[in-house]
Amino acid sequence: MNQQPIKLGIREYVSIAVLMVGAKAMEDTPAMLFKQVHNAAWMIPILSGAFFFITLFLLLKTLSVFQDKNLFVVIQLLLGRFLGFIVCLLIFLIFSFAISIDTRTYTNIINTFYFNTTPKQVIYALLMAVCAYGAKKGIQHVGSVAYLLVFYAALSMALALFLSTQDSNIQAMLPIWGTGKLEIMRNGVLRISTFADFFLLAMLIPLLKSNKEFRKGTWIAYVSVIIQISVSVLIFICMFDNSLEGIGYPFHTAIRYISLGSYIPNIEIVFFVIWILAAIIRFTTLLYIIAMMFGHIFKIKDFEYLIPSLAAVYLLIGSIPESTIDVSLKLKLYLTYTIGPMLTAIAIILWLAALLKGEFKHAKNKNSM
Amino acid sequence: MMKKGILKSLIKLINTEPQFNEQSNLESIELKKQDISIQYERNLATFKTIFSVPKNIDVKTREFTIRSFNRRAFIIYFGTMADHDQIQRSIVEPLIENEQPLSGIRDIVSFPVEKTSTNIGEITEYVTSGNTALFVDGDHQCYVFETTKIQGRSIEKSDNEVIVKGPKEAFNEKIADNMSLIRKKIKNENLIIESHVISKRSRNDLLLVYEKDLVNDELLQKIKSRLCSIDKDSISDLNLLEQFLEERPRSLFPTILNTERPDRAVSFIEDGHIVLLMSNSPSCLILPATFWALFHSPEDHYLRAPYGNFIRILRFIALFISVFSSSFYIAVTNYHVGMIPPDLLMAIAGTRERVPLPSIVEILMMEFAFELIREAGLRVPSPIGPTIGIVGALILGQAAVQANIISPIVIIVIALSGLSSFIISDVSMNFAIRMTRFLFIFAAGFLGAYGAAALFIVGLFYLVSLKSFGTPYFAPMTPHFFSGKDLIIRHVPMKERFRPGYLKPKDVVKQRKGST
Repeated sequence: MNQQPIKLGIREYVSIAVLMVGAKAMEDTPAMLFKQVHNAAWMIPILSGAFFFITLFLLLKTLSVFQDKNLFVVIQLLLGRFLGFIVCLLIFLIFSFAISIDTRTYTNIINTFYFNTTPKQVIYALLMAVCAYGAKKGIQHVGSVAYLLVFYAALSMALALFLSTQDSNIQAMLPIWGTGKLEIMRNGVLRISTFADFFLLAMLIPLLKSNKEFRKGTWIAYVSVIIQISVSVLIFICMFDNSLEGIGYPFHTAIRYISLGSYIPNIEIVFFVIWILAAIIRFTTLLYIIAMMFGHIFKIKDFEYLIPSLAAVYLLIGSIPESTIDVSLKLKLYLTYTIGPMLTAIAIILWLAALLKGEFKHAKNKNSM
Repeated sequence: MMKKGILKSLIKLINTEPQFNEQSNLESIELKKQDISIQYERNLATFKTIFSVPKNIDVKTREFTIRSFNRRAFIIYFGTMADHDQIQRSIVEPLIENEQPLSGIRDIVSFPVEKTSTNIGEITEYVTSGNTALFVDGDHQCYVFETTKIQGRSIEKSDNEVIVKGPKEAFNEKIADNMSLIRKKIKNENLIIESHVISKRSRNDLLLVYEKDLVNDELLQKIKSRLCSIDKDSISDLNLLEQFLEERPRSLFPTILNTERPDRAVSFIEDGHIVLLMSNSPSCLILPATFWALFHSPEDHYLRAPYGNFIRILRFIALFISVFSSSFYIAVTNYHVGMIPPDLLMAIAGTRERVPLPSIVEILMMEFAFELIREAGLRVPSPIGPTIGIVGALILGQAAVQANIISPIVIIVIALSGLSSFIISDVSMNFAIRMTRFLFIFAAGFLGAYGAAALFIVGLFYLVSLKSFGTPYFAPMTPHFFSGKDLIIRHVPMKERFRPGYLKPKDVVKQRKGST
């Protein structure tokens, strides 16, 4: 039957964005933040949010000139065919690397915290298979599932955090500046990669109803995600204080610690299920967007067929590092420190290019006509 | 794409349709295309051969002379499908007894409904559906009287969708009754009942019911073209038609709502849905149907809002219990033992101590036994029915525990999930839920909560991608459409102001703002 595809609604888009970026609070990001700035770690998401705001603002402003065109089309329009191709390829490669590392991180979490005896390969393969299946269904359906889940995910996250506050100590916030104001600023800049996923979501513009809806949705998701990450880091700091440095994945340690009254001592499985559902949504979206990029770069129209093979490739790349330490301490660090500045640079270059080419004026004239 | 094409053509090469030595019926097809003759004898002979008269015992022909014209005439009808007394009293008697020379048949016969036809095939069709055909010598056309009177059940209470509050009557096998059940609830000239013939040999009737000023024309066209594309000798029942119409006939989840309650059908028609009725089927199909339509019960709306929502939430919880309780038990006892409070863990371990089987086998055994009891209870003749319950509960439950084949807690888990599954009233949805339960048991047995979660999200991906005549399965929740917001929770009727937007009805607003 011939049906025109239903566009991604703003609800679905916001749900995807919230689940995708919000998941960062539930992996090793809080611990890594704590390592650098100690008790002031909760400020970093706000600060980098503020810094990334500039990037995002410039990007959205540039994109708003080109109605219903996705990021890659805009890049190629503004930077020319050759340079545009190089930049697109760069973004694609970086995020390919990022998805491999991230899925591997999640596999490590599942393996160390919940399924110690299950072979890592089985867990990893299942994760990728599920993501590939979901991505192949299309982003509209991923969005629908995200929307169905987002409330329960938010609710359970809030419950987990609330239960964590019972045994925590608000004085752990002090000293309020942690390792020093300068250090906080420096890390705030370096850590803008936390929000890098918003950059990727710009690929979805043509699938949304309008550019305006995209911008609105992005801002809603952006603000809620900043608050969410910051609050959860703060709660983890209050709960673990200095020992946070030695904890790899504070969220998972926290949900193991908390209990529902004295009769039900362990409820981590409930939170684990919600967490894994959110994680699957995150990787499914990432996989879909990356496949879309790949299709765009190499001019493949039916890129959905690429998804299973791409998933298999990332599964293989992600399996290369031998130990968990390698992944989260070395590789991820490189990635974190390169992605942020690179994306900011691209956003600024795009904006400058648009400015110099007079696209803004052009659009204004068009509107006034 | 390419690969698929090659594979398909290969399969085609292997699976060629076998050649049958069929007898040609070209002769009778040709005959049916012709018009009737004006010669009395020839017509009589033609129809006697078509209906194999001496052999076919319930075909009645009667020859007589119309006195006022002084011409020979005969009528032909099925004695088992037509009203014999009516024919005698209002058609035959006047024709024989009337002496005044009158202008035409219409003035003599007192029977009201009358059509004329000349085509042999068409007349045959009329006669097979219970009409009476009158042939007059020298007349080039035939008179058809609608004398149909079919034997059947009267309107009874709904058996499968029982409700406490609200109308009780249900559809029956007579299509005329079903039509009137709908018509009497919507007293509006825009209610259209359109007839379609869907199969070639049995010529099964199908009625499309919709409101002309509500229904989306594109949707109507889509459904009609789907109906036309069915190429089958005979589709004798609505439930068979349902399978022909569905986009994914192999899917676990239904995409068409099948109900036997006219009040339910009417409420969907009034929202702009299309309802299909068929003769000989005591139910109707409602298209398109979403997950919510299948999940709701009409009683949700007949009860006051708080009570209706109470049973809604109850049903929602029951849905989850029936799908997840068994798999949850397996996941917790096999993979996440830490979750169980220590005291309870000791108790479970104590009862499981002497059971030699792994818990997944236990659960599967009991689930299987429960399904057996359920199916047996359905099929068994009603006088023995209660016995089955006792046998099931006592023998299987009590004895199996005493024999150390299963642990008592498994019985609790199974009873809970079984009981909950009864709450989903739609038959197809009920099956879907019961079968997914088994999938979850295997997934949880394979990888605990992780396996179950993976299957859950795959299931969700699958469900949201389902479509019923272009309507997404979870609409209007996601993707979002205007609607009465009647999803998990329903509002008070005054707040349900819109018809479901996914149908794109011609009139979206049921009630303007501030008009209460």
